[in-house]
Amino acid sequence: MSKWRSAEQQRIYGRRLLEALRSARSSLTGPWGIKKAADYALALSARGQSRWSRAILFGRSRGGKVMLKHKAGGKIRRLRRFHPPGKLAAAQMNGSKVRDRLRLLSRLVPGCRKLPVARVLAETADYMAALQIQVNTMRAFVDALSAAAVAARRTDGELDVEALR
Amino acid sequence: MEKEPFFANSTVINWQMRSPDAAASLPKLNSGHLNLIWDQTIDQSAKFGSALSSLVSSPSSNLPATTAGGDSVVIHELIGRLGSICNSGEISAPSSHYQSANNSCYSTPMNSPPKLNLSIVSNPAHMPFSADPGFEKAARCSTFGCSGGGSHGGGKFMFPEVGKLGNAQESSSGSGNAKKRKAALKAKGNETPLSSSVTAITNPPKKAGVGGLNAKKSKPSEETGVEKESAREDADAPSKKMEEEKINKPPEVAKDYIHVRARRGQATDSHSLAERVRREKISERMKLLQDLVPGCSKVTGKAVMLDEIINYVQLLQRQVEFLSMKLATVNPQLDFNLENFVTEDMEIHQNCGLLPPQPVYPLETTSSSFSFAKQPERTPLISINGLELEGQLNPFNHPNFSRNLSMQQPPLEGIADASCQLGTFWDDDLRTVVQMGFSQNQENVFSKSFPG
Repeated sequence: MSKWRSAEQQRIYGRRLLEALRSARSSLTGPWGIKKAADYALALSARGQSRWSRAILFGRSRGGKVMLKHKAGGKIRRLRRFHPPGKLAAAQMNGSKVRDRLRLLSRLVPGCRKLPVARVLAETADYMAALQIQVNTMRAFVDALSAAAVAARRTDGELDVEALR
Repeated sequence: MEKEPFFANSTVINWQMRSPDAAASLPKLNSGHLNLIWDQTIDQSAKFGSALSSLVSSPSSNLPATTAGGDSVVIHELIGRLGSICNSGEISAPSSHYQSANNSCYSTPMNSPPKLNLSIVSNPAHMPFSADPGFEKAARCSTFGCSGGGSHGGGKFMFPEVGKLGNAQESSSGSGNAKKRKAALKAKGNETPLSSSVTAITNPPKKAGVGGLNAKKSKPSEETGVEKESAREDADAPSKKMEEEKINKPPEVAKDYIHVRARRGQATDSHSLAERVRREKISERMKLLQDLVPGCSKVTGKAVMLDEIINYVQLLQRQVEFLSMKLATVNPQLDFNLENFVTEDMEIHQNCGLLPPQPVYPLETTSSSFSFAKQPERTPLISINGLELEGQLNPFNHPNFSRNLSMQQPPLEGIADASCQLGTFWDDDLRTVVQMGFSQNQENVFSKSFPG
C-alpha cells in the first residue's frame, strides 16, 4: 500500500490515463466511458497485485461478469447474491450492524464480495489509496485541459475579434 | 528493547536471599547463568515473548516437579529449552545450560510473567530499580520454580503494587488476572519506586496453587502452539504488544507459524486462540484504514469506523465519476493541445500528491446536477447545494463563456467551506500554469460580452 504514496505512482497513472484519453477508442464514448478508462488505467497501475485491480482488469474483458478465479485457468464465476460465509467465520465480528456494513463495503470495492473480513479491509485500504490518486490525477487533468481549452479559445477569439475589426 | 543486565543479577541474588524455599538450589544456578543469559537475551528481548510462548509446553511438563531438588532439575530443563529457542532466534548462547536457568524463571508463569519481564527490560528507567523488579521477577521465578512449594507469590507478576499482589493472591485466579494485569500495566507505565515490591516478595502468597492452576491452564494452549512451533521468533510483534500494555501473546510471526499465547484467564483452546489472532489482525487493519480516512482519528468502534470508511469510498467514487464526466466535456476540445499540457500535468500531479484529501462537497453537488450521482442518502444535501450552484451559474451563462469556466468558477467562489480549500488548490497548482491564460480569458470574455 505504501506504493500508492509515491509521486512516481501518480505520474505513472497520469501517463496511463493520458494515453487512454488520447487513443480514440470506442470504449471512451458513452456516459461512463472515461470513468471505465480511468479505472482500467488505475488497475493497470496497480499491476494486478490486489484483488480489486484484477477484478477491474478482467471484469472489462468478460463484459460485466466478474472473473474470480483467473488463476485457475480463467474460470468464470457468476456473482452470487447471498452473502458468503467467509465474512461471518472470520473472528466473529460482533453485531449485525458491523456485518451489514462489511457487506456494503465489500460490494463497494470491486472484486471483494466473497472475501473474509481481513481481506476486505486490506483491499479497501489499497483501493482507497488508489482512488485518492485517481481523483487527484483526474482533477489535475481536468484543470489543465480545461485551462488549455480556454486559452485555445481565447487565442481563437482574439483572432476572430481582430478579423472582425 | 533495552538491556538490563543488572537487574537479572540483583533480582536473582536478592530473591535468593529472601526466598527460603528454593534458595539453596537456585541461587548458584541462577545468578551466574542468568547474568549471561540476560546479556544475550537482551538482544532478543523482543523475541522473548515468542520464545517463552514456545516454552510453555516445557514448563508445563516440568511444573509437577515441585520439590526443591526437583526445582533445579526443572530449571535446568527449562533453561535448556529457552536456550534452544533463543538459539534459534539468533543468540549465540553460551550453552543451553545457561539458558535453562532463564527458562525456569520465566516459563512457569505462563503468560504474564514473561510479558512483564520483557516490559521491564524494555524500560530503561527500571534499571535503577532493578532490585525491585528483580524481586518481583525473582519472586515469580521462585514461585514457579517451586510451584509445589508455593512459597512466594505464585503466579503473581505484578511489580509495584503490594496490595495488588496481596489481592491477587487472595482472589481466585480469574479475578486475580484482572488485577494482575492492572498491576503489570502499572508496572509498565510507572517508574515509581518499587520498594513495595520488596515486601511483596515476602508475602507468602497462596498463589502457588493459583500459579499452578494457571500453569496447567496454559499448558494445553501452549502445547498446541508449541507443537506447530518452528522455533522462530518475531521480534516486532511481541515488542509492539508489550508496549501496548496488553498482556497478550505476540500474535503473529512472519514465518511459518503463528505464535499465540492465551491470555490469562481466557479460554485456551485452539479455536479461541485462532479467533483471537484473527481479531487482532482485523483490528490492525481497521487502524490502518483509520489512518487513511481523513478525520477519523477520534472515531472509536467498528460500526462507526466502517460507516466512515464506506462514506469515504463512496465519496471518492463519486468524485471519480464527476471528474470523468468533466473530462469528457473537456476532452473533445483538446485534440491539438494535449502535448502542451503533458508537462503541466506532471507538475500538477506532483502538487496533487502533496495535497491532503479534501472532502470536495461542492464538486459532488455539481456532479449531482448532472444526474450522475445516484446516492439517495445524499440528495437533501445535494439539492440545497445545487440551488446555490444554480444561482452562481446564472451570471456566468454566457454563450462565449465556456462551460468549463462556469463549472470552475462556482466552486471557486460559491460555497464558502470548500472554496478556501479549492482556492488554495487552485492557487498552488494552477497559478503557475493557468494564471495567464485564465485571467486573460476572463477579461476577454467580459469585454466581449458587453458589446456582444
